[in-house]
Amino acid sequence: MLADPRLADPMVIDRRLTVLRVLVAAYAAVWSAVRAPALLDALDFADRRFDPVGPLAWLNSPLPDGLFVLAVVVTPVAALAMAIGWRLRLTAPVAAASFMFVTTYRNSWGQLFHTENLVALHLVVLAIALSVRGRDRRWAIDAMAVLTVGTYLVAGIAKLRISGTAWLDGDVLRHQIAFDNARKELLGDVSSPFAGWLLRQGWLLGPAAVMSMVVELLAPLALLRARFAVAWSTLALGFHIAILVFMAILFPYHLLGIALAPLLPVERLGATVAPWLRRFRLGSTTSLRTG
Amino acid sequence: MATAVVLSPLLREPASDTYPLSTYPMFASDRGADHRIATAVERLPAGTVDRLSPDLIAGTDEVILAAVTVQRSIARSEADELCAEIAARLGAGRAVEVRVETVDVVALIADDADPTAIHVEATCVG
Repeated sequence: MLADPRLADPMVIDRRLTVLRVLVAAYAAVWSAVRAPALLDALDFADRRFDPVGPLAWLNSPLPDGLFVLAVVVTPVAALAMAIGWRLRLTAPVAAASFMFVTTYRNSWGQLFHTENLVALHLVVLAIALSVRGRDRRWAIDAMAVLTVGTYLVAGIAKLRISGTAWLDGDVLRHQIAFDNARKELLGDVSSPFAGWLLRQGWLLGPAAVMSMVVELLAPLALLRARFAVAWSTLALGFHIAILVFMAILFPYHLLGIALAPLLPVERLGATVAPWLRRFRLGSTTSLRTG
Repeated sequence: MATAVVLSPLLREPASDTYPLSTYPMFASDRGADHRIATAVERLPAGTVDRLSPDLIAGTDEVILAAVTVQRSIARSEADELCAEIAARLGAGRAVEVRVETVDVVALIADDADPTAIHVEATCVG
């Protein structure tokens, strides 16, 4: 699927998958540890606010506090173990399942967040790849790359389905930027200090809207050539920087480049830090095979 | 398989969002410039108000969740309960106002315009 000639080499596949495992699992470990206090806020939410979604949509009421606390504790531990390559056939599925659970539960209180979707999906792919026997894991890199570009494509298509080509004239973007920042101001949160300036430059918003749509709708091109993947990833990174600057919305998984990593030759990163990685049994194919 | 999974949200209505397979509708619709935004403030003795943080409003650091919490409480006629919860977090003797502010969001952000109307839904003292 991912047209990268380097992936014809099984060693490159193993190395890229190892680097992806380290990056994604380490991100999940840090995120779930840092966000643990915020995740645990759910314990104090009134039951009337409970509105389960996705894999937890079948629930009628909040889960016992102890179960959620256990998952919040287990998630960073399992993800860290997965990142360092310890007992992967056990820790990878546990990390993926617990991350999916805690983020779904966090989304079950009336508001869906869109920052952890790709992390959760990438972890599931890695968990399956690291759990099943067999040496050909090329499919896992392809799947992660498809998930990345697919999310952008779906977001672009949503804009066309909901607003049509009117989204491109810049007015929708103007109103989105203004609304998001206004809501932050009225609810005592930090808004972007640059939003007011951008809104006063009306001529910029049309091209910005077109550029946003280009990044989203042309995302699948990144699968066709390695060079396209690099070019599109650069645009996607710029897109998220703009969202941060003008809307004060942080997509850390994307801004750190981890969401884009399946498309890129990140195995070179593994070679660069190989001495350090070897200390944690991360650089070799052995760690992937034995788990 | 991954293609089918990630594109499956396209089979749903865009507004039918869920997790983790989102339709990503959040920036897709034209919200317009005029909005009624539900929030909560502290009413000070001098008659002025202080903005409260998402943590004080809804016990979370997520502003969107705080916004939805106030909005839903008002829609479900539970503004008094929410007001009491906020007052309890704020401390004894502090006055809270749950309210809806009508604003032109572009004017507010670009020109620091004031709300055009404020409708108080609940008041309480901790």
